[in-house]
Amino acid sequence: MGRYVIRRLLQAIPVLLGATLLIFAIVFALPGDPIRALAGEKPPSPQVVEVLREQYHLNDPLLLQYWYYISGVLFRGDFGTTFQNVPVGDLMKATFPTTLQLALTALMIQAVIGVGLGLWAALRRGKAEDTMILASTLILISVPTLVSGFVLQLLLGVKLGLFPIAGTSEGWYSFLLPGFVLAGGSIAYLTRLTRTSLVETLRSDYIRTAVAKGMNRRRVVGRHGLRNALIPLVTFLGADLGNLMGGAVITERIFNINGVGSLLIRGVYERQQPIVVGVVTALVLVYILANLVVDLMYAVLDPRIRYE
Amino acid sequence: MRVTKGAQIVAGAALLALAVAACGGGASTGSSGAGSGETPVRMEVGEPQHALVPGLTAESEGAEILAAIYDPLVNYNENKQADPNVAESVSTTDNKVWTIKLKQGYTWHDGTKLTAQDYVNAWNWVARKSSAADATGFMAKIDGYADLNPEGEGTMETVKEMKGLKVVDDTTFTVTLASPFSQFGLMLGYTAFYPMHPKSWEADGKLTAAAQEQPIGMGLFKLDKAYKKGTDQTIDLTVYDKFTGTKPKNWTKLQFKLYTSSETAYNDLQGEQLDIHDSIPATQLSSAKSALGERYHDDPDSAVGYIGVPLAYNKDYQNADVRKAISMAIDRKTISEVVFSGSRSPADDFISPVVDGYRQGACGEACTYNPTAAKELYTKAGGPAKIELGYNADGGHKEWIEATANNLRQNLGVEVEAKPFEKFASILESLQNKEYSGLFRMAWSYDYPSPENYLRPIFGKIAIANGSNYGGYDNPEFDKLVDQGDQAATADESVKFYQQADDVLLKDLPYIPVYFYRTNWGHSTKIKNVSLNLLKQVNWAAVEKA
Repeated sequence: MGRYVIRRLLQAIPVLLGATLLIFAIVFALPGDPIRALAGEKPPSPQVVEVLREQYHLNDPLLLQYWYYISGVLFRGDFGTTFQNVPVGDLMKATFPTTLQLALTALMIQAVIGVGLGLWAALRRGKAEDTMILASTLILISVPTLVSGFVLQLLLGVKLGLFPIAGTSEGWYSFLLPGFVLAGGSIAYLTRLTRTSLVETLRSDYIRTAVAKGMNRRRVVGRHGLRNALIPLVTFLGADLGNLMGGAVITERIFNINGVGSLLIRGVYERQQPIVVGVVTALVLVYILANLVVDLMYAVLDPRIRYE
Repeated sequence: MRVTKGAQIVAGAALLALAVAACGGGASTGSSGAGSGETPVRMEVGEPQHALVPGLTAESEGAEILAAIYDPLVNYNENKQADPNVAESVSTTDNKVWTIKLKQGYTWHDGTKLTAQDYVNAWNWVARKSSAADATGFMAKIDGYADLNPEGEGTMETVKEMKGLKVVDDTTFTVTLASPFSQFGLMLGYTAFYPMHPKSWEADGKLTAAAQEQPIGMGLFKLDKAYKKGTDQTIDLTVYDKFTGTKPKNWTKLQFKLYTSSETAYNDLQGEQLDIHDSIPATQLSSAKSALGERYHDDPDSAVGYIGVPLAYNKDYQNADVRKAISMAIDRKTISEVVFSGSRSPADDFISPVVDGYRQGACGEACTYNPTAAKELYTKAGGPAKIELGYNADGGHKEWIEATANNLRQNLGVEVEAKPFEKFASILESLQNKEYSGLFRMAWSYDYPSPENYLRPIFGKIAIANGSNYGGYDNPEFDKLVDQGDQAATADESVKFYQQADDVLLKDLPYIPVYFYRTNWGHSTKIKNVSLNLLKQVNWAAVEKA
């Protein structure tokens, strides 16, 4: 088991290295001069462009530039700097915890609401509640974050004053509303997934056996039904953590949260290779770890699955 | 079962680690700013492009913050003229040698006396090639600037000081310009001309880390703590108690809140979580008028929007009548009022209404919507059958460019293609590489409030290689008139020459002026007496808490 984890982590190393080179090359291939683009619509003075291009090795070939970058990361733990001389390591340190907090809040919200609603719908299959839940998830899934974000911000934040409007100055409380907005689509998806998975499990032979043995309904559904139905849900939640972290751009913008998504977008837009490579590599790492945790969770949920 | 237990522990530990990491982050990012009990006056800004260094700042957001930390040599009054501020006097007899005397009593935030040397040091640093300072262009008119910026890649300056800057005594210095420039006094209120604290540099001439993160200023406000760019979401300041100028009556704490979306900032303003918002988005303008009432303001802004003409790249547009016909076919009123929801006003001059020298309606017939006359003129002048209209897709220009394209299509009966480019710089690259030779959108906001700034940097011959003359317009008569304005003995006289140069442009229409920008801003009920100066910066000393 320990050996399995170590093997998985070792496998991650070439993946991460390959990812950095690939992303570095992609950003390199973007058209236009990043230093000129920085200056916006007024032309920067030619001497400024010249000095900065030199300073950030922009005149060197791709592989040499990559070597400057990756040797810094590997040997000095230095993730490079932006063209404004801000260490990328500092930017990542500032944004990752914030976005992780947002993503975990969203994950909790979607797990509680999604699984709860799905459970309810499955137990009331075919009845009015079931239809209602399915219909409302359809609405939830079709409202884009941009709309739900602004509407909820205006309604619950500005008009009713229930939640902070924007920013993260009130700790966990400030993440509730953005977390809910971010979770929106996933809640709907998770509800449907839970419902289908549970309905299917409840039809199986061992459930019928358990009921026939006279076991009480709560125990049949909770212990025998839900636990087995959880496997696809855990897979979904694990993969979703990565999505929530890298894909929270719109939510972060609406709620003025200084997060990974906004940092990444800025990096791409300004062609700041160190930002893009650093952030994407860290996101790849998040995906790898989340997948590992998901795989280990399988073993917890289903004793038949073993890793050696 | 052994495996299951192990997996449980690992999975549990992993989740715990994630949760702990998240909590730790929450504490560090949750900075609410002001330590004392006073609620600060809070203003919206975008993230500054650079560290808080005057010479590195050539954009509005950083300039807004620096304006609180520093006090300019001159202020601009309601008549659009410069009044001495930190300077006691700014004088010249020949527009070439300028003497600047400082007022007594100004100190840096650490108590050190402000001296003339602090200005000279700062300006020399900004001018040096090795500093790669964004605002370096502001120093280009000073004698000796060229010595600090040797040509050739990798060649750095050997001379460290401009010969045009001379300290006379502790509070006096002289500036000699390379050639006479009557508008130099008007430039001095700008960010690039702030002084810098004597301890801002390491022994090797590089800026210290402290000078970049927590500069010691000499203005109304002092930074509470170092500003970490990209990490901090607020910048907190407190009134400097030894400041000799006017201080706010009943408050001492100021906070800049960094936003990425002006819509979000507007919601915060409505919820009274923000006190001043100076870029209310166009989509919210109609609701802002009713929601904010008297707290909503609509001021002219320095920026002008044009349709650029690639005179040097495309023969089709070389007949001035073709350009005039295109200009007359554009419905400026509808574009300003409908497409921009009133956040623009129709342009009727090359010089913006915010500076001295603007003449209402100067553009006359050429800027007046007249489809019939436009069509007639266009046909007579033999305009091209197909017009391309390039714009950068990153700045919200699509709507008005499409509207303009429709105008031209309908009124001139030609084929029009609105062509998106990734960034503004990509349009320029394509023009220079001769891959694109159509019309292009263009805008200009001033660097200093002088009519000259709307002329030479965009249309002068020198600006083709070294400036923003992207169309390649070249007219010796125009250049001569601007020169005369630069050398005129009095302010009034120079404005007259600039207006004559403007007349040349209005006749030639090297670019087609379409609209003037407006600044749409508002404030909360918690403060009153809020006003913006000519540079669109808040007059903090006048602001009162309600």
